[in-house]
Amino acid sequence: MAETVADPFFKGNTGRNTRGILRLSILVLIAAAAIASRLFSVIRFESIIHEFDPWFNFRATKYLVSNGFYDFWDWFDDRTWHPLGRVTGGTLYPGLMVTSGAIYHALRALTIPVDIRNICVLLAPGFSGLTAFATYLFTNEMSTSPSAGLLAAAFMGIAPGYISRSVAGSYDNEAIAIFLLVFTFYLWIKAVKLGSAMWGALCALFYGYMVSAWGGYVFITNLIPLHVFVLVCMGRFSPRLYVSYCTWYALGTLASMQIPFVGFLPIRSSEHMSALGVFGLLQLVGFVEFVRSGVPSKQFGTLLRGFVLLVFGISFGGLVLLTVSGVIAPWTGRFYSLWDTGYAKIHIPIIASVSEHQPTAWPAYFFDLNLLIWLFPAGVYLCFQKLADEQVFVVVYSILASYFSGVMVRLMLTLTPIVCVAAALAVSSLLDTYLLLKSPEYPGDSATEAGSNGTPAPSKKAAKQDGLRSMRQPLVGIYTTFSKMSVVSALTSYLLIFVLHCTWVTSNAYSSPSVVLASRMPDGSQHIIDDYREAYQWLRQNTAEDAKIMSWWDYGYQIGGMADRPTLVDNNTWNNTHIATVGKAMSSREEVSYPIMRQHEVDYVLVVFGGLLGYSGDDINKFLWMVRIAEGIWPDEVKERDFFTDRGEYRVDEGATETMKNSLMYKMSYYNYCTLFPPGQCQDRVRGVKLPDVGPTLNTVEEAFTSENWIIRIFKVKDLDNAGRDLASAASFERGNKKKKTIKKRGPKVLRVE
Amino acid sequence: MHFLKGLLLSLLPAAALAAKKPVVDKFSQFHTKALASTPLKLDDSVYAKLTAAPRNYSVVVLLTAMEARFGCALCREFQPEWDLLSSSWTKGDKKGDSRLVFGTLDFVDGKNTFQSLGLQTAPVLLFFQPTVGPHAIPDNGPIRYDFTSGPQSAEQVHSWIARYLPDRPHPQVNRPINWVRGIAITTTILATITFLSVAWPYMVPIIQNRNVWAAISLIAILLFTTGHMFNHIRKVPYVTGDGRGGVSYFAGGFSNQNGLETQILAAIYGLLSFATISLALKVPRITDPKTQQVAVIVWSGVIFVMYSFLLSVFRMKNGGYPFWLPPFF
Amino acid sequence: MRWILSFLLLGLLAVVQAASASGNKLLVVIEELAEKSKYSKYLGDLEARGFKLTYESPKSDKVALFELGERAYDHLLILPPKSKGLGPQLTPKILLDFINAGGNILLTLSSSHPTPSALVSLLLELDIHLPSDRTGLVVDHFNYDTISAAEKHDVVLVPRPDALRSDVKNFFAGDGKDVIAFPKGVGQTLGNTSPLLTPILRAPRTAYSYNPKEEVEGVDDPFAVGQQLSLVTAMQARNSARFTVIGASEMLENAWFDAKVKPSAGLTGAASDKAAKTANQAFAKEVTGWTFNEIGVLKVGKIEHHLDEGETEPVINPKIYRVKNDVKYFIELSEYQWDKWVPFQPAEGDNVQLEFSMLSPFHRLPLTLSSTTPTSTIWTTSFKIPDQHGIFNFKVNHKRPLLSNIEEKNTVTVRHFAHDEWPRSWAITGAWPWMAGIAVTVAGWVGFVALWLWSKPVPLKLTNSGKKVV
Repeated sequence: MAETVADPFFKGNTGRNTRGILRLSILVLIAAAAIASRLFSVIRFESIIHEFDPWFNFRATKYLVSNGFYDFWDWFDDRTWHPLGRVTGGTLYPGLMVTSGAIYHALRALTIPVDIRNICVLLAPGFSGLTAFATYLFTNEMSTSPSAGLLAAAFMGIAPGYISRSVAGSYDNEAIAIFLLVFTFYLWIKAVKLGSAMWGALCALFYGYMVSAWGGYVFITNLIPLHVFVLVCMGRFSPRLYVSYCTWYALGTLASMQIPFVGFLPIRSSEHMSALGVFGLLQLVGFVEFVRSGVPSKQFGTLLRGFVLLVFGISFGGLVLLTVSGVIAPWTGRFYSLWDTGYAKIHIPIIASVSEHQPTAWPAYFFDLNLLIWLFPAGVYLCFQKLADEQVFVVVYSILASYFSGVMVRLMLTLTPIVCVAAALAVSSLLDTYLLLKSPEYPGDSATEAGSNGTPAPSKKAAKQDGLRSMRQPLVGIYTTFSKMSVVSALTSYLLIFVLHCTWVTSNAYSSPSVVLASRMPDGSQHIIDDYREAYQWLRQNTAEDAKIMSWWDYGYQIGGMADRPTLVDNNTWNNTHIATVGKAMSSREEVSYPIMRQHEVDYVLVVFGGLLGYSGDDINKFLWMVRIAEGIWPDEVKERDFFTDRGEYRVDEGATETMKNSLMYKMSYYNYCTLFPPGQCQDRVRGVKLPDVGPTLNTVEEAFTSENWIIRIFKVKDLDNAGRDLASAASFERGNKKKKTIKKRGPKVLRVE
Repeated sequence: MHFLKGLLLSLLPAAALAAKKPVVDKFSQFHTKALASTPLKLDDSVYAKLTAAPRNYSVVVLLTAMEARFGCALCREFQPEWDLLSSSWTKGDKKGDSRLVFGTLDFVDGKNTFQSLGLQTAPVLLFFQPTVGPHAIPDNGPIRYDFTSGPQSAEQVHSWIARYLPDRPHPQVNRPINWVRGIAITTTILATITFLSVAWPYMVPIIQNRNVWAAISLIAILLFTTGHMFNHIRKVPYVTGDGRGGVSYFAGGFSNQNGLETQILAAIYGLLSFATISLALKVPRITDPKTQQVAVIVWSGVIFVMYSFLLSVFRMKNGGYPFWLPPFF
Repeated sequence: MRWILSFLLLGLLAVVQAASASGNKLLVVIEELAEKSKYSKYLGDLEARGFKLTYESPKSDKVALFELGERAYDHLLILPPKSKGLGPQLTPKILLDFINAGGNILLTLSSSHPTPSALVSLLLELDIHLPSDRTGLVVDHFNYDTISAAEKHDVVLVPRPDALRSDVKNFFAGDGKDVIAFPKGVGQTLGNTSPLLTPILRAPRTAYSYNPKEEVEGVDDPFAVGQQLSLVTAMQARNSARFTVIGASEMLENAWFDAKVKPSAGLTGAASDKAAKTANQAFAKEVTGWTFNEIGVLKVGKIEHHLDEGETEPVINPKIYRVKNDVKYFIELSEYQWDKWVPFQPAEGDNVQLEFSMLSPFHRLPLTLSSTTPTSTIWTTSFKIPDQHGIFNFKVNHKRPLLSNIEEKNTVTVRHFAHDEWPRSWAITGAWPWMAGIAVTVAGWVGFVALWLWSKPVPLKLTNSGKKVV
């Protein structure tokens, strides 16, 4: 009875509308959930920009908003990389800033007065909602089941692997890049399916946007050609493929070359050569197919195939030759280190030193995508059922992304979407099978025999050739309600656990803005450690407008953003030599460092010291990287070996080597530290060692500021001595011990000329 | 008066020569030896003679222990590079303009030297600057090159030496082209091509078989997503022993893992996804209700247990992870 | 040129205001005021030159060089105390702080009583060395005054000093031929590392310093001999604070201001028999004047730099330039002479230089004299900015002995070419082939589309075999 009443809602046009509305509302809810789950940091702390790079993006955005687009484009930043300056306008990916700038102006036009900071903070969550929607579209292209898309969207909305880079306040390129990535792929699949130039052009357009937004666009640049190449190898060449790829490549390359930072790379660097090569290959194949359709002859066909292979080989050789001869730039370090995994460690310490360039251990995978990680292979397997072009794409994407994410932690980001999609495919197929209300009628004896002794009928011989083993039998369906109930309930509970997991991970791991640290008091209450902002505020208020701050490059962006003071080096590590100079100044004796600091007009030196609080990410722990990077440039002035004891330990207590004890970094970190402790109990809580009671003495710099928990220490670089003495003796005079009168020594005495 | 001066002038170089004579001979004789075979095979006495001051030439001596019983892998790895470097250097500068002599002192021939230098490790490269002559430098203690960062290539050592020999010729290291390898490669390539061309018809079904490809891609994915690349890059141990003589399969710590651990994980994932696949694809194709019922229960049971086990393993890795499923706590 | 006028005014102000370029509060440290009479002439000269003198005993606690952290006096004159030490207010540290705060010190020594240890250690800090036992006497058996020191030979007669180097101004030349009497003085030796030290008056070649206390026949290994022995030494700190040591305080006494001296027979053996008047008064005036910033003080007036690319009204002192800009630089310098600012002229063979530097100088150019005002000279140069973006400094670093230091740094940013500052593509002949290519492609495309649209599709009919026949 009820069924008949409900009928009109689920059948015919009304039914379609109902489902449409349902779908829409579900999507909106998913987006809401995605945004909401990223607001932990804002609620728990405040609306603040997070760790390092976002601070530069924020600063750049402010510049854009206040000075307009063209000034931004030609921006020469004289407050970083002192005294070299940075051609910022030409060396960044403007997509992010331009996006938020556009949003800002749009809101202003709508007379909604909103602070640019809040736009920057909330940009990532906003785009995550869009990403969910894009994933929905992408998945719908993959499967016929209506539920797959929604599931994928839901997964994408709350998967920690994506949340890690897109919580409110992490205002980084990835914030919008992932949306663009997924949406570009969606458009690509659409284009391939329809073989329409319009979708191809749209794809190119969004590819251009992606290029303007994130360096990771190279992933698309290589994935799409790979997809095409695989299809061609599978003998799936078709006019659709030809049209879509050529449209995408031509327009997309032009679009990407409009970004100053990219410029001529698409035709000059190896990363982009695969796209070019596949483009050429497609022309060849297309030509051959055209001729073949005209001249249907077997031998001629083989001849043509040979010809194709030949030309392809020749052009490939040509590419290699050009690369060797240097016309085409070889792999850039970051990208190269993806293939030759040992490369960076040896040749580019500055890349190896970044934590997010480390390989990924399995717990990270499970942490970031809980049960998806084992649904993932199942989904990929399902793609082999009906292996159409788009399923091939999924397979290729999965394998490539899994490899990359294994090599670099940060590339987990590119893996997450496909995992969500694949897992959604798996789950949806399960649900579709087990949520069917109507059971198949009980089979008769004949059918039972046929099924039970399962002699494969001759018709299935064909299926043996291709098609999966698990799909030889015809689909029957689930008989008992019990099995349906059990499977569905289990699955539901897993999904619930997944939701709990995501929430837990997000709130515990990914929601702290590393600028402000939170710690638990013994009584469990939260205690905020705000040393960074304290110190940066001090700089902003107590130092000259153009006081140059020397610090290790990790803090460059923050100093620029929060303290608004010129820095020597920052997180945009474009000049290894300059960074090595700072490394040398930090790791050398004062007499060596002082001239360097004078030459670079350094006014203040900032070091991060966690010894008191047990904050492990401090400069002494990063020190060896400074030494290594400096050693790369001055191998016989700075030696890593000298910082290890004879037994090969890296120590900071009495056992530390002389080089270590005399290095500026060590002195600045532990200067006056032991005055905090009663004698004999001075200890470093990070390294967990006891320190000698007499701390180091500083001659060329003087302590200017130390934050509440000693995390940040700022030292002022002294001017030359007014009376022309060297600073060491001047300092000793200040300390009150008289200069010993030079005893007239035997032998010839040095006469004063002039 | 003038006559006297002239006399003096004429005498001076002679005197200088007389003063130099012995050392000159020393270098030339060593150099001629080196031309015959380099690096010079030294023993205690020759080493002492070679490195004795005054010397107007530079010496590079590799102190090594080649014999198997010392088990110095580094020595054996570095030896060919060293020979290559010295030979190509000596060839490159037959006239001995760089005034550099290469020598090798094996532990068996030079125990006393090793003891006098107080060397515990090998190989060690010692570089002696000249004490007299144009390139003389005041402190004549040898400069030591420790192989702290693993085995070095000839080029690296070459650049290190060159740094101490300014304004002197630095003959480049030229590696002999490895013909054998090239030939081997070409032959293998040809062989494969022929093999393919012959076996093509038989291989086509395999290559075009969907199951094969599915298997390959699934295995690849499973390997990568269980951190195989981590093992590859960080060269982690396969298993580590716990304190009590047994082996611990799971390394402690969130960002650390064992070789075996990843394989166990791969197995778990594989099983889980296989169960999922069977539930999704195989089970609905079972025509007999009872079999199907059993299959459903079995597979969902497998998933349940495995997943709970997985969660427990993860709790092991990451303390304070709050979620779990029975039966594993 | 308004600013030149304003400058003139400033110059006038300087004239009416005071003697010294920097204040006129002078503290004279003298042990007992009775001694003032000995120096009355000299002190009179100072007062006549507009200094406000204050007298304090080194022992007293009232003598405070600083009050509330500020310099209380501009200049300090220390006459040799008899007692061994100075008071707690005159420790070397305080004196050094006084110098660092920009105060000038004129220190006089005397061999008649030992130098206080405080002063010795102060001098040591400044790399000026005294004889080890704090009393040393400079004698010269060839240039002594036969009238006053026929026996002891300890009144050394020194001719007026000549310039330190050929390219350094000489403030103490006088008229050249009169002699300076240096009675019972202590000689100093200067460390040869410090570039801040300048010997104003050197001992004659035949002079030497020995310790009169120890009674020995003939001095072996004297403290120092000949030219190495500096009788009057000048030290100018980096902040141009001046510190002068006069080896013999008696020089400044009235007795020696107008004493007649008769030089002994010199090396050449020709003794002049007529007595001459000493030049001590004039020399003392010059030395004091130099020390108390009355001469040899340089001042930077206006500094100006702007584009030099034919603008009518260029922006003065912009913060940012572009690579390969042509720029012009001006700097105005004036020198103080006793009571007024006069145009500064570097010595013969010397010139003022401009550095345009980032990390290291990209340009180092001699400045040329462009114009002269009553009180100053204006120096200029113009050059092309190097093809290197960054943060550069216009730097004038003019440090010469006996002249106060000039170190002027003006920071400017040099930016790269903006996107619209490059020549347009059609202006580059090399680009024409490509542009032609573009044109052809466009035309070809349009033509193709036209052809496509206008060509009528052929109706294709199928044979029963399904083959297509045209």
